[in-house]
Amino acid sequence: MSNRYVVKKIVGALLTLFAVVIFNFFLFRIVDRDPLTKYRGRSKLSLEQRETMIRRMGLSGSKWDQFVAYIKSTLQLDFGRSFDSTRPVLREITDRLPATLILVGVSTVLTICIGLYIGAKAGWARGSRFDRVSTSTTMVLYATPEFFFGMLLLAIVAGRTGWFPTGGLRDVGTNNGFVASLLDRTHHLVLPSLTLTLGYLGSYSLIMRTSMLDTLGEDYLTTARAKGLKESDVMTHHAVPNALLPSVSAIAISFGFVIGGAITTETVFSYPGLGLATADAIRNTDLPMLQALFLVASAAVIFFNLVADLTYGLLDPRIRHSI
Amino acid sequence: MSAVLEVRDLHITYASSSGLVPAVRGVDLEIAPGETLGLAGESGCGKSTLAMALLRLVPPSTQITGSIKLAGQDILTMKPGQLRAARWAQASVVFQGAQHVLNPVRRIGRQIDEAIEAHGSASVSRAGELLDLVGLGARRGDDYPHELSGGQKQRSLIAMALACDPLLLIADEPTTALDVMVQAQILQLLDNIKRERGLSMLFITHDLSVLSHTADRVAVMYAGRIIEVGAGDALLRNSLHPYSKALTASFPIIGDPSSRHQPRGLAGDPPDPNNLPSGCPFHPRCTVAIDECQSVDVQLRHAADDEERSVACVLVGKS
Amino acid sequence: MNDLVPSTSPRDMTWARRKQALARVWRELRHDRAGFVSLVVLLGFGLVALSAPLIADRSLLLAAAGRNNPDLASPSAQFLLGTDDIGRDVLAQLVWGSRVSLFIGIFATVVAVVIGSVVGLVAGYVKGKVATVLLAIDEFFLVVPFLPLAIVLAVILGRSPVTLAIVIGITSWAGSARLVRAQVLTLSERAYVERARALGAGTWQIIFRHVLPGVTPLIIANATLIVPGAILTESTLSFLGFGDRLSPSWGKLLDGAQSSGSITLNAWWYYLPPGLCIIAVVLAFTLFGRALERIFDPRLAGR
Repeated sequence: MSNRYVVKKIVGALLTLFAVVIFNFFLFRIVDRDPLTKYRGRSKLSLEQRETMIRRMGLSGSKWDQFVAYIKSTLQLDFGRSFDSTRPVLREITDRLPATLILVGVSTVLTICIGLYIGAKAGWARGSRFDRVSTSTTMVLYATPEFFFGMLLLAIVAGRTGWFPTGGLRDVGTNNGFVASLLDRTHHLVLPSLTLTLGYLGSYSLIMRTSMLDTLGEDYLTTARAKGLKESDVMTHHAVPNALLPSVSAIAISFGFVIGGAITTETVFSYPGLGLATADAIRNTDLPMLQALFLVASAAVIFFNLVADLTYGLLDPRIRHSI
Repeated sequence: MSAVLEVRDLHITYASSSGLVPAVRGVDLEIAPGETLGLAGESGCGKSTLAMALLRLVPPSTQITGSIKLAGQDILTMKPGQLRAARWAQASVVFQGAQHVLNPVRRIGRQIDEAIEAHGSASVSRAGELLDLVGLGARRGDDYPHELSGGQKQRSLIAMALACDPLLLIADEPTTALDVMVQAQILQLLDNIKRERGLSMLFITHDLSVLSHTADRVAVMYAGRIIEVGAGDALLRNSLHPYSKALTASFPIIGDPSSRHQPRGLAGDPPDPNNLPSGCPFHPRCTVAIDECQSVDVQLRHAADDEERSVACVLVGKS
Repeated sequence: MNDLVPSTSPRDMTWARRKQALARVWRELRHDRAGFVSLVVLLGFGLVALSAPLIADRSLLLAAAGRNNPDLASPSAQFLLGTDDIGRDVLAQLVWGSRVSLFIGIFATVVAVVIGSVVGLVAGYVKGKVATVLLAIDEFFLVVPFLPLAIVLAVILGRSPVTLAIVIGITSWAGSARLVRAQVLTLSERAYVERARALGAGTWQIIFRHVLPGVTPLIIANATLIVPGAILTESTLSFLGFGDRLSPSWGKLLDGAQSSGSITLNAWWYYLPPGLCIIAVVLAFTLFGRALERIFDPRLAGR
């Protein structure tokens, strides 16, 4: 991969991130003229406390002064204090980030692997039994809100059987060693990550199936067959590597949906990550938290898109060698 | 000596959205060891379908009847495993390099070696040696297709075709997308390789002029049938079927200055395979057609004055 | 105008052509099993939504309506789908919920399609700086994760159903703008647009008279595919606390079911019906949209 390609993609990602930061300011300071009215405890504030709060939130001075103050504090990762807990927003976020990273990470890896596998197999054997069964299943998965999955799983395998915990990150009061704690956390992770995986499996496998169908008519598959290759080798060595390329970008775009899915999934399972924090912030109209959570979610998607662009560059020699 | 390739009464009908399309309608062919047969015709006449059918590389919904014997074994009755073993080892294809016949995300050397591996001898890479042989140089095995020029791609496809030491090369328009200089080099290369290794070759082209130095015999196809076949030079210099005449007249014969001054193109388009004209399918475009041509579809038959020549035309060989 | 006399005014010819095109779509749809079945399902849901006042009185949605009923009662002759955590009839909420869910889904789609089509048409037809800026905005909306964006917008703009629809519309137009633009780019190369330009037609006249009719089928098929996404987004936002409990959508019902603990209490009649309704409608819209796509663009047949 040429350095220019990498640099170009990184600069593009940074520009997009910067656009999000500006957009955030626009939303919270211009569309919403007086964010403080959304603070529920405002009636109890003394005039002095109110002044302090306005200053602390960077709401004093002209819009330009506010903008400069906002950019400065954002660069220092200072997002103010939560309306709800009154702790610094940054602290709230760093506390909850690891739980979400694990949940989204595990689910994304599972979704990509299973989704691509099903999609590739279905597209390759288009019209077969496997294709018909898997495509109709994935269509239903696609049509189901992931939190409804979560509720069903909760009702069946947690409520009825008690095989899995109904929520939380770990059992309270269990602190007997590393292995036990790891097992306990994994036990708590199973249902949420299964929910998120099932919720987005559908779109990933449909994406892969479509790009597989697009490669089916390609001449290089005929070449490979002419050489006497087995059908399975034609598929894995020739069709799949080419079908992956368009899927990579489409999957990167769908990653934004997975982030959204984490919000509802964590809510269903009371899984204390950033998603649950978002749901709480909605119910409490906690603007400073929402503002920062939106930035974090956007940054995550932009980063994932960057990774996808760079992966694309690695997978496609035409980009790897160009420029 | 028995023929390397023997095709008998081959019919190929493929399914399209508008119904069944008869692409090849009764073709007989044979190629002797070391012989090159040129197969010429306009695009859509069925020659590429025929070439692909020789290794059963047509869509599964395609109906093929007749027989295709490669080194005595009928390709059409083989089980999948036998077919895979026969592909590339008995006959290989020199594809046209212009389209995506090479996998864009796989190195050239890998694409050559995988053919050898598919036939069980995985031990040594022969890609380098083969690329040397076609004048590309072994280093090019590490390249991806987009890094090669059109001529280089064509050379790598020739190297690929030689990977399993086949008896027969099926060259499917191997020079079509190339400029004249490169075209000559590729033709020369194919000719040398064929001679050195004693290979048979089926050379498919829409351009009869490339056959003049390559082909021992030439067959001309029209609307899914062979309408004239004969010894190469004789047919190219003195074709008998009005269609072959029109094709040979559209290129200058080297060494015959007068031929350059009378280019005669061919009017009209090839017929729609779904809706062939009655009688001789060529009659609507034929400049010498007579009334009989609208009703009588003449089969290939020996021309009176040339032992090796067969022609499918009312006006020729009537004795 | 006399119907019996064949008229040849351009307007009538256009109408005749449109009627023919519609007839063709209908004919092909009748032979597309998935498309036809999903259309029937959609019409069924539409009928229920429209006749909600006839099926259940609106007052049943009020908090007071459940005061004298048992809470979380299982289905019975009186309450076919049982009651919720404050004793209200679940079936009544489900019926009225179809109104809210379909209304928001369709209204949001209209917003998205209008923005997407205008941006796509302009970005495709007008070259230069305008197009660059529009494409940058489009790119931005494609990259920014749309649920967090919708959440932030809904918090700032308000929580009413109409606002939710607008918010969902604002977050879902970027894809259709791309599609429309790509189609416009190919169309504007076509001879009839060039001819109109040569005859001196203005930019806007060309866009609305000549380019828009060409992209309309695509816009319709695309809109049918935006609706299911919008309905899912609506249910998600309602589940997260937006929307109105006294005029609940299906997503809001699920929110109530979740927060009232109906799952651990095994009150399946509370959470199962709204979830299944969402799946049915989303699936039907998706299949119907794909059928339309196949009809308008035969290259996609067999997908």
